[in-house]
Amino acid sequence: MGRYLVRRVLFLVLVLFIVSLLTFLIFVKLPAGDPARRAVGRSTTPQQIEAARVAFGLDKPLYVQYGRFARGLVPIPGWFLDEKVYYSYANFVSVKEELFRRLPVTITLAVGAAFIWLAMGIPIGIISAVKRGSFWDRAGMLFALVGVSMPVFWLGQLLLYAFWFKLRWAPKSGLEINATIWESIAQGKFILPWITLAFTSAAFYARMVRGNLIETMGDDYIRTARAKGLSERRVIYKHGLRGALTPVVTMLGLDIGALLGGAFITETLFAMPGIGQWAVQAIATNDFPIVMGVTIVGALFIAAANLVVDVTYAFLDPRVRYT
Amino acid sequence: MKRSLRFIAFVAVLGIVAAACGGNGSTSSSSTDTGSSSADLSGGTLKMAMLADVTAAFDPQKEYYSVTWEYYRCCLLRTLMSYKGVPTAEGGAEIFPDLAASEPEVSADGLTWTFTLKQGVNYGDPFGDVSVTAGDFIRALERTADPAANTGGYSFYYSVIKGFDDYAGGKADTISGLSAPDDSTLVIELTEPTGDLGYRFAMATTAPIPPSGDAKYGAAEGHDRNYGRFLVATGPYQFQGAADLDFTGPAKDQTPVAGYVPGRSIVLERNPQWDAATDDLRPAYPDAIEVTIGGDNNDLYNQVSSGDIDFVVDGAVPPNKIKEYTTDPDLQNRLNVYPSDAVRYVSFNLAVPPFDDVHVRKAINWALDKQGFRQVRGGETTGQIAGHIWVNSLENNLLSDYNPYATPNDSGDQQQAMDEMKQSKYDKNGDGVCDDPACENILTITDREDPYPDQAAILKDNLSPLGITLDVKELERGTMYNKCNDANSQHAMCAGPAWGKDYADGYTFGGPLFDSSGLWESCCNYSLLGATADQLSGWGYDVTSVPTVDAKVDECSAAQGDARFQCWADLDKQLMEEVVPWVPYLFDNSVDILSPNVTNYSFDQFAGLAAFDHMAVTGG
Repeated sequence: MGRYLVRRVLFLVLVLFIVSLLTFLIFVKLPAGDPARRAVGRSTTPQQIEAARVAFGLDKPLYVQYGRFARGLVPIPGWFLDEKVYYSYANFVSVKEELFRRLPVTITLAVGAAFIWLAMGIPIGIISAVKRGSFWDRAGMLFALVGVSMPVFWLGQLLLYAFWFKLRWAPKSGLEINATIWESIAQGKFILPWITLAFTSAAFYARMVRGNLIETMGDDYIRTARAKGLSERRVIYKHGLRGALTPVVTMLGLDIGALLGGAFITETLFAMPGIGQWAVQAIATNDFPIVMGVTIVGALFIAAANLVVDVTYAFLDPRVRYT
Repeated sequence: MKRSLRFIAFVAVLGIVAAACGGNGSTSSSSTDTGSSSADLSGGTLKMAMLADVTAAFDPQKEYYSVTWEYYRCCLLRTLMSYKGVPTAEGGAEIFPDLAASEPEVSADGLTWTFTLKQGVNYGDPFGDVSVTAGDFIRALERTADPAANTGGYSFYYSVIKGFDDYAGGKADTISGLSAPDDSTLVIELTEPTGDLGYRFAMATTAPIPPSGDAKYGAAEGHDRNYGRFLVATGPYQFQGAADLDFTGPAKDQTPVAGYVPGRSIVLERNPQWDAATDDLRPAYPDAIEVTIGGDNNDLYNQVSSGDIDFVVDGAVPPNKIKEYTTDPDLQNRLNVYPSDAVRYVSFNLAVPPFDDVHVRKAINWALDKQGFRQVRGGETTGQIAGHIWVNSLENNLLSDYNPYATPNDSGDQQQAMDEMKQSKYDKNGDGVCDDPACENILTITDREDPYPDQAAILKDNLSPLGITLDVKELERGTMYNKCNDANSQHAMCAGPAWGKDYADGYTFGGPLFDSSGLWESCCNYSLLGATADQLSGWGYDVTSVPTVDAKVDECSAAQGDARFQCWADLDKQLMEEVVPWVPYLFDNSVDILSPNVTNYSFDQFAGLAAFDHMAVTGG
């Protein structure tokens, strides 16, 4: 177990290194991506551009530039997202300060959405599998088809238009100024974003649970359970579901990890000041320190979620061993 | 429009604020005004939204963005001279004494300007007991010159001050051309006559910075990157929580103001030190201004319709809303359309064949379907067809009826275009069709966002009968501007740019767009006018000479009064008829819709935006 964890952590570091290097290279290779030029505005002299280049450390060799950013990714106090390097080239705000201010919004969005899609997707999948071929199965799979076919940006606009603008059942987009996360939740500000984010995933999870459960119910150990005289309810929920949900756990970990890196479209659409909205703005303005910070944090979440999933997998599936 | 090459930001402004632009004769309403007295209009909270944050977190030495300039003008920062926040017809393009007690005294040679300050103007919190003095302006100008603090700003406008560049270059400890003989007198010595200096002292970078101990930059000391979050106001408003600012400790330990959270919100409250008796430019109706940052354009305008917010600062009113507010009698008084003093154009690179031939450039001026260009932007409401380069307000309307390439319905005239092409060296057989390989696959850069791809398609159709084919590259907006500006990029045409004034003077067009000082790596002389043979060679061009108008720009810069307007108009005509670096096609309009809560509105011609201090809301 210990060796396994060490190996996985080292692999995680390797992944982050590759991601950061790629992000850096893409940035420096972007057409017209010279941040010094963008920052100086309508400068009248090449000297001013050069001054900005020096201020941003862009006059250094590429490996030195990368080194400055890479050092800021090491989770050591004083190094991690060092404010001398990790600040917005646009408004000079510290990336670390902004990241931690936005993280609660993104976490709330991700966790709430995950709860909703699990609460919708798993029961629908189970019912569809158990009542295979019935009206409920067809209705469930129609829901799944609609859900996976519906683009998030379209669904979000539709929900806003219908439930806020027309019906006034939901509050308008955005968080109230100075409202805390808890106050925003109480005001219902997250309901439509949660539903928007959850809808597609719920549909996907419903299909996955249905398929897995149907497959599992054909396994030998299920037949054995039935032969032992267990009730059908116990067979399904005690034995079948456990096997069918194992891949769901894997997907859930990865999905939440990805969402913690920012729900780009949903946050932008609903004016949620989270990491995704911030990333969109940074990408539009080629604000590299923010892009780098968000990318790495997003990659970290995904990699960490992957690790947690793999570790917990063994608890769910006795066949899995740490090697 | 500020072409701050904080390109994205600048471009966002043009693309967004001015997106709605259009022209004379479009649906237009004057100020929304209930006729109530000022006292009736005062009070309440003005609720606004912005799609994106300001560009440099409110640092006055860095912000080169019309939206921020409106916050400064209306609310936060007073300057020696300033504007009334009204349209051109009501004097909105004129400057008036603000912190100055009167108009400046200008020496006979135009090289010395003397401002006398108003008495009894104090700063907002936490410097409420500190009066504005002449030295505070010098402090601001020194910070404007300091490369560590002025990133992205417009310090170049102040290079005319004696010693400014030496200070900027670290060769001097002070700016020799600035002096304060006493607390109420500021004397400015220039290196050359500068007729528009008053306008330059109406810009926020010159707003006074209060002293703080012995610190060179006063309250801004140690805040090279973030003074905007510690901004000390002089206007009728200040950031919420300004009273809690504490400048006594090291800058890094100071806590920024609560009323501005970058990327999230802006909250302005009344500045308790502001005295209306010293300020006849700002009515300052709302008690507070709340702004949320971020969101979806369509959704935000729905919030305006529903009254959840009162106004969208930097959005583009969706076409369906424009139609709704244009046609519904109950909504028409909540639609406001004003010229935003920006021009949209197609530029030629005069160092790239076939655009080294003026007849080709003229032919395209004849051929372009400007009406079609406007139609895909949203029609008449979006702006007035442009017949020349400078927006009319900057020329005192001297050329308002001038259009040397007028065509029926502004839809282009192929016969005139072919007649012009016949005179070109690239039409060897004189049939009005270019028969030179230089006319094939001409590299044309444009914006990838709507409606530019549609405009490029029209352009292709218009030029095809002339034997000109285009290789259109659609780029992200900031990248497009960088490529258009980069003389090394060898582009032949830029089809997506726009330009707006920085302040109400023709120099803000003439200098950066057509003077050699605007050549790469400066900005934004895309046509390369005034480039030397060495420069052209260095950028890889075979063409060895291009026209120059530097002398005329210098002449106009020194002129004053009516002669100045006439000079810019003459240059405009010279460019349109002799040099022909562009096809200007639209003078933009600013289009605003207001919530039912708004009881008073005014358009600020300076910023090209609604004047926030003139907006009154119910509940006031």
